[in-house]
Amino acid sequence: MSHSHSDTVPLHASSQSDIDEIENLINATVHSGPATVLPARPPAPPRPDPRLLLPLPPFLHPPEPPRSSPTRSSSPPWPGGGRPPPPLPPSGGGGSGRGRGHRVRAGPEHAHGAGLGHGEAGHVEDREQFEAGGVPEPVPGRPREGAEGLGSLGPFFFIVFLGLVLSWSASVKKSEVFAVAFAVLAAGAVILTLNVLLLGGHIIFFQSLSLLGYCLFPLDVGALICLLKDNVILKVIVVSVTLAWSSWAAYPFMSSAVNPRRKALALYPVFLMYVSVGFLIIAID
Amino acid sequence: MDPSQPVVENYANPRTCFFHVAFKAAALAFYILSALFFDNFVIIFVVTVFLAALDFWVVKNVSGRILVGLRWWNEINDNGESVWRFECLDQESLARMNKKDSWLFWWTLYLTAVLWTILGIFSLIRFQADYLLVVGVCLTLSVANIVGFTKCRKDAKKQIQAFATQTIATRFSSTLQSAFSVV
Repeated sequence: MSHSHSDTVPLHASSQSDIDEIENLINATVHSGPATVLPARPPAPPRPDPRLLLPLPPFLHPPEPPRSSPTRSSSPPWPGGGRPPPPLPPSGGGGSGRGRGHRVRAGPEHAHGAGLGHGEAGHVEDREQFEAGGVPEPVPGRPREGAEGLGSLGPFFFIVFLGLVLSWSASVKKSEVFAVAFAVLAAGAVILTLNVLLLGGHIIFFQSLSLLGYCLFPLDVGALICLLKDNVILKVIVVSVTLAWSSWAAYPFMSSAVNPRRKALALYPVFLMYVSVGFLIIAID
Repeated sequence: MDPSQPVVENYANPRTCFFHVAFKAAALAFYILSALFFDNFVIIFVVTVFLAALDFWVVKNVSGRILVGLRWWNEINDNGESVWRFECLDQESLARMNKKDSWLFWWTLYLTAVLWTILGIFSLIRFQADYLLVVGVCLTLSVANIVGFTKCRKDAKKQIQAFATQTIATRFSSTLQSAFSVV
């Protein structure tokens, strides 16, 4: 090592300190942290709105606190992590959401990257937290788990419930009704998400699936009412009301995800899907 | 200690192993056997998918961590982008993992996916679209876990290599230094 040799071979003072510095740097990189360097984080946004953790439709939420977060031109910032996004306008509500500029990624070549995100690898840093279970908090205060926790069971439950109710209402071909309802809703959610991505919109895949699942809640209620009371006029009224409610719940999220000029292109298919589900509910005998 | 008997390590986490296998086996068994007893597709669908979802949760959150020291998840970063994170324990901990545990983990993971694929082929042949739906959902859940953990493992191998290269690099540089200072 240089220290032992420096006794016999006198080095220039600055060379010795340079060598020491380099040695320390090398030792530091060997002994410290993960092999991959994680990108530096920008300063954390203000504490997320706790309402985002509640799976409630927008009209049930208390009025929004004034938002002091810096305006970002990127996609709706989602401080709620992947906790299944309720049908709630992302930060700033519908008004400010429409006021912000959208960074639109043009072209289908960005579709999947934009929706599914990218991967990062690393070592476990906090061993105790690893053994306790769960995942580390990305930012203090923000909930941890993404769409793979029990969170994604929520929208799934709504879809299954709707299928069950439709199946109960049907007097014949119960299993086909269930299978069709489930397949239409699941495939519909996936296709609607792809539609937004291909329009150059900026959403996250699982977030959108969760949203479309949660927005089914009013139709679930409507289907239940139609199951209990078999009057056609009542069915039409109930389905129209719940349909309007579902579409209105999905509107802010979908519209803020795309270029304002393409809003209708993103929203119309959603509306169409809910209309077809509504017809299923009315037509079930 | 009897010298003629080799040391055979037992499962280090028998309860975790049990639950890891239990839900998978229950979902498969229910699906296969229920066709003999039930006529009601809806119950088969709901119960099978529920068991498969429970299995997914157990594997992802419990057995992956405990049996093989890997975990993966998705989070939204400050830019609002979705990021998939894959993490593994450090080298010594990974080396100390029970071999039987990890063997069981990986084999059952792959085996269930294969079995669901076979069941899917059966229902395709019989033109049962609704059973294909059940198989599709269960297969998606299994494959998601396989992909997630394999990504962790591949990254683990890459990190091993990176670590090795780094250690070699430091040895090399320190030998270079000593060579330099001798001159």
